Amino acid sequence: MIHVKNLLKRYGDLVALDHLSLDIKEGEIFGLLGPNGSGKSTAINCILSLLSFDKGEIEIFGKKMTPDAYESKRNIGIVMQNVAVFDELTVYENIDYFCGLYVHDKSERKRLVEEAIDFVELGNFKKFHPKKLSGGLLRRLNIACGIAHRPKLIILDEPTVAVDPQSRNKILEGIARLNKQGATIVYTSHYMEEVEQLCSRIAILDKGRVIASGTQEELKAMITLGEKITIEAFSINEQELQQLRELPGVLSVQWIEKRLVIKSGKKAGSLEAVLDFLKTHEIGFGRIYSELPTLNDVFLEITGKQLRD
Amino acid sequence: MFAHIFFYRFKCLIRDKQLVFWTLLFPILLGTFFYMAFSNLNDEESFHPIHAAVVPSGNSHYDASFVEVLRSVSKGKNRLFTMKTAASQAEADRWLKAGKIDGYFSSGETIQLTVNESGLNQSIMKSFVDQYRTNSAAVAQIAKDNPNALQNGLLQDLSDRRSYVKEVSGSGAEPNNVLNYFYVLIAMACLYGSFWGSKEIMDIQADQTERAARINTAPIHKLKAFIAGSLAALLILFTEILILLAYLRFGLKIDFGPRAGFVVLTALLGSILGISFGAFISAVVKAGEGLKIACLIFVTMAGSFLSGMMYQNMKYIVSQHVPLLSWLNPVNLLTDAFYALYYYDNLYRFALNAGMMVLFIIVFCAGTYLIIRRRKYARL
Ligand SMILES: Nc1ncnc2c1ncn2[C@@H]1O[C@H](COP(=O)(O)OP(=O)(O)OP(=O)(O)O)[C@@H](O)[C@H]1O
Ligand SMILES: [Mg+2]
Repeated sequence: MIHVKNLLKRYGDLVALDHLSLDIKEGEIFGLLGPNGSGKSTAINCILSLLSFDKGEIEIFGKKMTPDAYESKRNIGIVMQNVAVFDELTVYENIDYFCGLYVHDKSERKRLVEEAIDFVELGNFKKFHPKKLSGGLLRRLNIACGIAHRPKLIILDEPTVAVDPQSRNKILEGIARLNKQGATIVYTSHYMEEVEQLCSRIAILDKGRVIASGTQEELKAMITLGEKITIEAFSINEQELQQLRELPGVLSVQWIEKRLVIKSGKKAGSLEAVLDFLKTHEIGFGRIYSELPTLNDVFLEITGKQLRD
Repeated sequence: MFAHIFFYRFKCLIRDKQLVFWTLLFPILLGTFFYMAFSNLNDEESFHPIHAAVVPSGNSHYDASFVEVLRSVSKGKNRLFTMKTAASQAEADRWLKAGKIDGYFSSGETIQLTVNESGLNQSIMKSFVDQYRTNSAAVAQIAKDNPNALQNGLLQDLSDRRSYVKEVSGSGAEPNNVLNYFYVLIAMACLYGSFWGSKEIMDIQADQTERAARINTAPIHKLKAFIAGSLAALLILFTEILILLAYLRFGLKIDFGPRAGFVVLTALLGSILGISFGAFISAVVKAGEGLKIACLIFVTMAGSFLSGMMYQNMKYIVSQHVPLLSWLNPVNLLTDAFYALYYYDNLYRFALNAGMMVLFIIVFCAGTYLIIRRRKYARL
């Protein structure tokens, strides 16, 4: 559905997109995950033909994307990173205005606008001006403006920034619903939890490059980390730590604030080996937690830094 | 689609209370303020008859008609002169020196005018003499045959004070009225209308606002959307200027001369000038809304000042010493167009101003087009 090949975009000396390639298929929720400044918005704006770029090819719906590709544009809905509505217009008017740029038939438009208002649950706020809406409601209005015309492809650029968790969940559920109704979704975020919860396929972006892409399972399979074990331990000495590190399957061991943080590889059995070791050396321990790797771990292992700093 | 955008842009603009204040309420308030400040400076009331004297030549062939004419323009409430007759030139000179009179006429084969400084009154005396000279043969004849005819209209021209004021002010001296203040006011309102044009640009240039970026992703040509919006802006501004004009004309009784059609045409030109100017500045000055507004206010206020908004003579000082500046000042072009419609019978000077405005509009529109026709941006 979207095909991006070798996209190169410079802002002066800064390379914002470094030969970026993406392939987004019909019906999926595609996540573009990357830290601040990794080039997510730049990529989206290039895809939308808002930004010029230095090199590369962009096709949407099988056609080259240009500012004049009205047929394609008619089927795209866009939710910008920042709220983009008119302060002088009410909630209803804002949605109607944007919807009217796509849908000319008045009665059909009325129906679509009402549906969009129901969808984001702004029914009680139709006559409100954006200035009077809270942050979360404003985000919902921003989304409604982008989707009212029922596009086949919806691109959302960090739609949940600065939204409280409850509103955020509502938004994520809504996006999943849109996908179920048949829309292909491109979702950018720097929150890995959102992307993990929502997206069927993910590309991880860093410094304008795709450093990994695939389904969650594929991404997690790429790295050596298989499990992260945290054990409350009361005292342990350097020598014992060193011996722990040499156990089979253990990748790294840290002792922070009376907690042992052990990263182990994909093969099962590391936890038993660690617990055996603690028992035989009579090291007292309390609760034990085990976590599977997250996308943050994927990012950390590939780039050597945290997704969120 | 065009109608849809026009309609919504109209709503967006008209609900911007700040802009409505600056482009409509503010000029009306300022006009009312001017009116109150100047109401006792009104031209009819502030014109005091000129103190003048005549020195007869002693030759009744010359004296009779001239003295008769002088007497007829020195009578009544709206008289041009307060006339004294001097026994001799020496006496008239004494009066002149003592400041009792502004000048004196010496009758004779050719009428002489003696003044010792220059000013509005002196200029009026001068043009009175000029007029008399051109018409003297006819006047002399009529005065001899039928002295009453002089009062009954023939001398109307010669004694119409306003025609002198007009003529004199046209030649660069200080006009004795306050109309110019109101003309600058309308011009200022038109240029404040540039805010509307600026807003249109900000809502269509994707590198200026996110709203505009969103419009740019819709299946509509950017220029089409921009033109629809600008027409909405123009409709609003033109209506505002017409309201202001109506208030000045019918509320404050400001005189715009007899050519209402041309006055409205000038208002339309001024509105287009304002919108296109705002669009151009907003397209050129990409950085921040504050800087744009500062630019627009600066040009409008500086232009208004140079056109005589705060100090009436400024307009003449500029047109005498830096004529180029008065042709490059859009506020002055508009002011002068209104002024020309009021003062001149022929349309030459009006046409010059209107032509310059059209030229400006073309430059602003072309410049705006060149900047906004790009549909992909290097950065957002
Ligand atoms: N207009 C611009 N001029 C210069 N550099 C820019 C511009 N816009 C973005 N950049 C740079 O390009 C890089 C990518 O920016 P972009 O906004 O695409 O990142 P992002 O992934 O969307 O980040 P965020 O999560 O903060 O939205 C950053 O280094 C940024 O500083
Ligand atoms: Mg971004």
